[in-house]
Amino acid sequence: MHIPDGILPAQVCATGYALTGLATWYSLRQINRTPDPSQGVPKAALLTAAFFIASSIHIPIPPASVHLVLNGLLGCVLGYYAFPAIVIGLFFQAVMFGHGGLSTLGVNAAMMGIPALLAYHIFQGRYGLASRLQPKVAIAGFAFLAGAIGLGIAVLIFFGLVLTTIPFGFDAATERTAVLVLVLTHIPLMVIEGIFTTLLVLFLERVKPELLQNEW
Amino acid sequence: MNDVQLLPFMLLTVAMLYAASRLPVAYLLSRLRYPGFFLLGIVGLLPFLSGKTVIWQWGMLSVRQEGCLATALIATRFFSIFTLGLILLGTMPFMTTVRSLRSLGLPIILADMTLLTYRYLYDISGNLSTMQIGMQLRGFRSQKQSVAWLIPNWLDLKRLASLAGTLLIRSYEQSERVYKAMRLRGYGWDEGQWGVGKAGGDREMGRQGDAEIMQNAKCKMQNFSTSSTRRSFSPHLLISLSPHPRSTLALTLTLLIAAGFVIADILL
Repeated sequence: MHIPDGILPAQVCATGYALTGLATWYSLRQINRTPDPSQGVPKAALLTAAFFIASSIHIPIPPASVHLVLNGLLGCVLGYYAFPAIVIGLFFQAVMFGHGGLSTLGVNAAMMGIPALLAYHIFQGRYGLASRLQPKVAIAGFAFLAGAIGLGIAVLIFFGLVLTTIPFGFDAATERTAVLVLVLTHIPLMVIEGIFTTLLVLFLERVKPELLQNEW
Repeated sequence: MNDVQLLPFMLLTVAMLYAASRLPVAYLLSRLRYPGFFLLGIVGLLPFLSGKTVIWQWGMLSVRQEGCLATALIATRFFSIFTLGLILLGTMPFMTTVRSLRSLGLPIILADMTLLTYRYLYDISGNLSTMQIGMQLRGFRSQKQSVAWLIPNWLDLKRLASLAGTLLIRSYEQSERVYKAMRLRGYGWDEGQWGVGKAGGDREMGRQGDAEIMQNAKCKMQNFSTSSTRRSFSPHLLISLSPHPRSTLALTLTLLIAAGFVIADILL
């Protein structure tokens, strides 16, 4: 799910960096409004490292096994720190393991990070419905949505970008169909990501509810 | 970069820079292996699909000129960008890189988060492998067989979610301890003055005497409890602000050249 160096033309890379810069600026502005941002920095940093490591856990899906992206969950837990966290995580992945690349860091960060911010807002939506639903059901439902939508949008952007910028020699209609088919084949993954996010959020809610409060 | 004639020059420049950096070639090759295969997986089909001019045919299989050119272009671009990034980061200690970025205007929150993430990455990775060994010793085996394809084993999923959750909780608790320790050494906000007080202005954390730290910590505690006005973020928390002129210059030049290439590429 990372776009490597060299594939995208310079315009797309520059646009990616611009979007990432904008989203980072917005996130930092929101963080600076909290009473004491320095309190959140170590927590966000260690959780960034933990998410980075946790996404390497193999999930067995019978014929094979997959890695999760966990960007929806990252949004739910880290709130506005999610975007800087994703930028930093992707930077380390590019530098240490060669997943992604430095020139595509902006595109990749926008691709994963903006859905993560969206997931955060979806997950906050549980407070609006909490009075009508049972709290546990509300948390589970919104966590599922956050996880599935977080991955879904990232997948959509990924295939959209890769297929439109690499000159495969398809016409526009074929490209659109190809993107659609590839996204449809990823729906099982979205469901599994959503289920995993739900299970993890319910676990956190049971064991350490303060992690989900975003009040740090 | 769409002109194929420029590719040899690009490769030559990169090779000269790599030779000048005196990094071993084996280092480049070992780093290149994984992303290189990944890239080939993506663009490997291009010569067979893209374009109209057929240059070689064998049954249904035909190699097309446009596709070959596109593959060469993408592969060379990838190799050049990757190698240049490697030269930049491989010849500079990581602390210096972050410090230089910081003096180029990287926000303090990002700089501190980067350093702390870097510091605890391997620590947390060690935690995870300990926990995984623990799970295996208690009899956990992830089951490859299930009722049907694409339907994971429910209990396995639950256990793995607990594993990831425990990892998050452990890191969270560790971060609280780290934060308290950093706070006692003067990390944090203050009204218009930097973390450890003006006298200790531009020093890195942990270089002062214990008595001084404790005294400052006490002062700061009082400040924190009384003042509630808007505070500014202290800029030298984990890294000293004393600039590292040569690396900053190198980084600035690299960024400027990169930006120049991008602008030229868009305009031309």
